[in-house]
Amino acid sequence: MVAPSQFKQLEKVGNGTYATVYKGLNKTTGVYVALKEVKLDSEEGTPSTAIREISLMKELKHDNIVRLFDVIHTENKLTLVFEFMDNDLKKFMDNRNKGNSHKGLEMDLVKYFQWQLLQGVAFCHENRILHRDLKPQNLLINNRGQLKLGDFGLARAFGIPVNTFSSEVVTLWYRAPDVLMGSRNYCTSIDIWSCGCILAEMIMGKPLFPGSNDEEQLKLIFDTMGTPVEQTWPQVTQLAKYNPLLPPHMPRDLKQLLQNNTEEVLDNNLVDLLHGLLQLNPDARLSARDALNHPWFAEYNHAN
Amino acid sequence: MFKKKSLEILFDSPVSDDMIKFLTDHALKVIPAQNRQPHQKYPPSPPGSPSGKGANGVPSLMTFISRLVRYTNVYTSTLLTTVVYLNRLRALLPSDAAGLPTTCHRIFLACLILSAKYHNDSSPLNKHWTKHADGLFTLRDVNLMERQLLQLFEYDLRIEASELYDNLYSLASPIHRDLEKGAQINKMRHQAQLHAQQKSQHYYHQRNISACSSTTTLLSGSRSGSVNSLDILKEYESAASSVSSSPTYAIEATSTSYKSYSMDPRYCNGALHTAGNAVDHYTHTPVHKTAF
Repeated sequence: MVAPSQFKQLEKVGNGTYATVYKGLNKTTGVYVALKEVKLDSEEGTPSTAIREISLMKELKHDNIVRLFDVIHTENKLTLVFEFMDNDLKKFMDNRNKGNSHKGLEMDLVKYFQWQLLQGVAFCHENRILHRDLKPQNLLINNRGQLKLGDFGLARAFGIPVNTFSSEVVTLWYRAPDVLMGSRNYCTSIDIWSCGCILAEMIMGKPLFPGSNDEEQLKLIFDTMGTPVEQTWPQVTQLAKYNPLLPPHMPRDLKQLLQNNTEEVLDNNLVDLLHGLLQLNPDARLSARDALNHPWFAEYNHAN
Repeated sequence: MFKKKSLEILFDSPVSDDMIKFLTDHALKVIPAQNRQPHQKYPPSPPGSPSGKGANGVPSLMTFISRLVRYTNVYTSTLLTTVVYLNRLRALLPSDAAGLPTTCHRIFLACLILSAKYHNDSSPLNKHWTKHADGLFTLRDVNLMERQLLQLFEYDLRIEASELYDNLYSLASPIHRDLEKGAQINKMRHQAQLHAQQKSQHYYHQRNISACSSTTTLLSGSRSGSVNSLDILKEYESAASSVSSSPTYAIEATSTSYKSYSMDPRYCNGALHTAGNAVDHYTHTPVHKTAF
């Protein structure tokens, strides 16, 4: 625990799910930090989001996860002191798109970011934590090209049989089809779907499935990935919000779809990895560790 | 092997008097009884008395917990998980830690609030907890106890499955034993079936089997004086050992046993699937439990 006066509050850098984030300066060390301020509502007490974010992030020490240094908890305000990051992936891509139409990132950079994203996710999953809100805004990057998972406000632990999982998780565009159809027994695969959406978005420079409501979101997904049936996804018809009137679609050619939106040459390994991440059936989706071992990452795997 | 399953069954059952008694006992252990009376003029009230209010107008801890459970309709899992935090707190506090007559109530409530907030995707607000705490505390009190407990725990509320099982041992172990017994019976039944199959379908193995079982019967005879049920088990063990002497059956035996008990993948790959079922179980009522 540190004294609040140790930090000088600088400019506002953003709004999280339940807090305001400021850049801050540690006056004793001269190191910049991010100060995430949560206003405490006396009726609620300490928000459960903050309780989980602190409890989970304290233990997650990894190069691809934003470090939580400290917590300052007073009667009216809770401040989380994080490692400072210069940018997030959303802003980074928006800056690239300024002036011209949608343009994705260079393939080398896409690969480096995706590798780091999957490293962070694999570490969470191996520590039995689901992030449940992976999206470009929550992937922070610094000027050295490092990418780190941030905002664990929706995260939670799994592995003990304690109940109530909500299906109201993950920002709509990055939400897996099983969760959209009301599944509450999701696991690590919920984050993997988001990783697939993010990979496609980095390539195309625009979101893969930008739906405006649950129904449209599912329609966009099935238009591209095909409409699931019992043969391709056992038990899909048992899901709470399964719609038997869905128009049957065959999967579209994902490679062609991406190629229409980028000047980069796409190799088959990339398309294969993307298919592994974007399996409609959650049980068929790759694990983060499997994805890291995919041939598309051969250059990183051989380097180690 | 059935630890997780036994917890799932325990968490699926409604809150019982035994559970409340169990929690009361653990909460009372956090601050020793002799350290809970600040004023000599109060006669010492018996810890964990079943109901009613003590001389000082404070309800007994057991009454307090029962009412909280009834009013808030808290999940069995949320309620029982509280014991892990109670035990952690006991380990953190010095053995001569002292408190007011309401200290154990306070400690229990704070642990329950943290358990609900950490483990569930939606949980009651502190103003709701305050309302159901028998008017013992103000909202400000509740907020303060929550914050102090978080700081004592250094915000680490993570619980491992094995820790949960160990803390709930006295409630979960009878279920655990039943599961093991059930699996053993299943195993014996399977092997008996296998044995019968062998006898009826493959006569040419018969000599081999009887030779084998007679050896083991001799062996078990030398360890005589054992309990009857164990003898029954031995009989099937001998059947199993004779099976493994014939390679065709060895494979069949392993694969059936794999499917039917011990290694059901649902219980090995994390409890999520079954936890999900538990939620589905509750989908008729969650309005009270979650939105509160």
